[in-house]
Amino acid sequence: MRVLRSQIFWQVAAVGLLIWLGYILAQNIEANLAKSNIVLSFDFLSAQAGFDISESLLSVSATSSYGAVILAGVINTLVLAVCCIVGATIIGVMMGIMRSGGHYLGERIAGLYIEITRNLPKLLILLALYLAMVTTLPVVRESWSVFGLIEISNRAVYFPIVEQGFGLWWLWAMIAVWPIAICVLGKVARRIQDKTGIRYPVIWPVTMCVLILIAGPAMIGLIDYQISWPVLKGFDFAGGGRISVQFVVLVLALSIYHGGQVAELVRGAIASVPVGQFEAAKASGLSFAQMTRLVILPQAIRAAVPSMGNQYLNITKNTSIALAVGYSDLVSVMTTSINQTFRPIELMTVSMCVYLGICLIVSWLVNIYNARVIAVRA
Amino acid sequence: MKVRFVLPAAFAVLAGFATQANAGPVMDKIKAEDSLVCLVNTNSPGFSVPDSQGVYQGFNTDFCRMTAAAILGDAKKADIRGIGFSDSMKTIVAEGADMASRSITRTGTRDANPGMRFVVTTYYDGQGFMIPKKLGVNHASELNGATVCAEEGSTTLLNIADWFGDRNIEYRVENIADKSARLQAFFAGKCDVLASDRTALSSDRLLADNPGDFAILPEVISNEPLTLLSRPDDAFETAIYWAFQVMLNAEAMGVTSENIDGIMADLANQPKGVQRLFGQDSAAGEMAQQIGLPADWSYQIIKQVGNYGEVYDRHLGPNTSFDMARTATANALSQDGGLLYPDPIR
Repeated sequence: MRVLRSQIFWQVAAVGLLIWLGYILAQNIEANLAKSNIVLSFDFLSAQAGFDISESLLSVSATSSYGAVILAGVINTLVLAVCCIVGATIIGVMMGIMRSGGHYLGERIAGLYIEITRNLPKLLILLALYLAMVTTLPVVRESWSVFGLIEISNRAVYFPIVEQGFGLWWLWAMIAVWPIAICVLGKVARRIQDKTGIRYPVIWPVTMCVLILIAGPAMIGLIDYQISWPVLKGFDFAGGGRISVQFVVLVLALSIYHGGQVAELVRGAIASVPVGQFEAAKASGLSFAQMTRLVILPQAIRAAVPSMGNQYLNITKNTSIALAVGYSDLVSVMTTSINQTFRPIELMTVSMCVYLGICLIVSWLVNIYNARVIAVRA
Repeated sequence: MKVRFVLPAAFAVLAGFATQANAGPVMDKIKAEDSLVCLVNTNSPGFSVPDSQGVYQGFNTDFCRMTAAAILGDAKKADIRGIGFSDSMKTIVAEGADMASRSITRTGTRDANPGMRFVVTTYYDGQGFMIPKKLGVNHASELNGATVCAEEGSTTLLNIADWFGDRNIEYRVENIADKSARLQAFFAGKCDVLASDRTALSSDRLLADNPGDFAILPEVISNEPLTLLSRPDDAFETAIYWAFQVMLNAEAMGVTSENIDGIMADLANQPKGVQRLFGQDSAAGEMAQQIGLPADWSYQIIKQVGNYGEVYDRHLGPNTSFDMARTATANALSQDGGLLYPDPIR
């Protein structure tokens, strides 16, 4: 009882200290701002920003408000973060498996990759990759054409897109149906396998059906996909879609950089799986791929999930190096806005809240997933 | 115990009132500390770059030294500190520095801030475009659909948006923060155009493998009067303003740091204007008394720093790698068709 009471005392004292520090901080900021004739205000968010950004999924221009431009920056940051998380996971899991696969050459190659990426600063990797891409790839007017479909230059990668209309809706619907059908039919196939022992294939037949549903109606003239092709016009390609080189470089650099760290996590997680599991899997005649997919990875994932979550948070925060190469992420837009509005405190508060929000969501999702894999074990 | 804290606080408050009542608190502070805190760009070739001893050298830094020579009689007493662009104005407003000579454009909204004063324009710049010659573009109006590389976070972005928007010209911007990445993107043709202040463009051009492949377009899309910035203080502002006029007058009259000692030895036989500029019992001496400067202030400026033309040639002129022409530009003296107009010292 006595111990408990003293614990309560210290906790209350700690909370009190925090509140006091927060109060001092707030008062200090207020007093110093008043002294410098600065008043905190978020009114500027609705004012016209007056500058353009390099790329955006929203249609923002120089006449948009600061709020809209900042939102475009947030979306750019999110898109970049998601692509980097996917890229780093794929590279990292592959390298992690190679690192602990027992194959001499594979282990050495993965080891070399991990050592290099873990010991280089990410900004250096980014700038080196950027300069290499910008100087090796051809200029727009001499772009490399891939079967006349895709044009690659040091400015952007250009590709044909389906324009707004029924065709686009149909395409999106089919792309949405594809994973759902695989999940549902996969469950059915598993039930049949449990009952009869016969495993029917799911992924390939479903994919074929979806492709036929996409291409078929167009062939017999039911749907007209209005395709917009990139055409060189003046200084640049017009029409079609484009992915800027700086975005590609950022995704590559951050995926390669964080891939090394993810690989180490995966290696550690695989090492945590008891040797008996490997021996049992081999003894039951599973191939290396089957053993990895069915026995080892499901157990390794449990050990890896919490630290993977940490990696994902790091990736999200590290997308802020994007401004170095001209990708308009949140930090880039914020920096420009600060220089125009002289409202650093407000803008940094906004950015910090956004990053905090994104990171809390990511860690919440990881926790949900973690609870699920642990529940499976129990 | 308490008295210990209260007393200094009370003195601080009193001192605050006392200095506010005084006409020139900044001037008094500079003289009391025998040092002048002046902010410059951290790395801007020709304008301010640290030399091998870590001392800032360049066109902008010489106006810090000019002010120190005028007020304290010694150009070396300028405490020159490098600082980022947006922090420089905040530091002046927060009274963390006395003046800034940092290629800051004087604009209406900036000048409206009561915490700082724009004193005198030392350089008339303007934003322009650089293009590879092989594009065959002669005017900025031909840039429809072009991709423009610009510095992240500067007014450059706004000027471009205004200029292209007003003319309904479509363009795409890449605002790249890292300088080497930005220049490499431009030299490798990732962007068609590089936009910046024309002075910056001419120094960037030298970094190309073959500077002759690139040209600066004739259009100047903005006015950038790069102006000295000070804390509000009448005496201090007057000192900076007239120290600069001394440099202009000296150039107009052909007085340099080299020949000034000879001129001073024979002042009585010099033209009247020169006598007024350097004679301690004439206009310059009277000004010194009224503003509160050393009697030989004008001599010290020219002896230690030089006239405007000397400063320009030393850092930006034909004998430097920048080789920026001054004749027939806004930065020539008014007698040569420029905008630098020496106010009479009499």
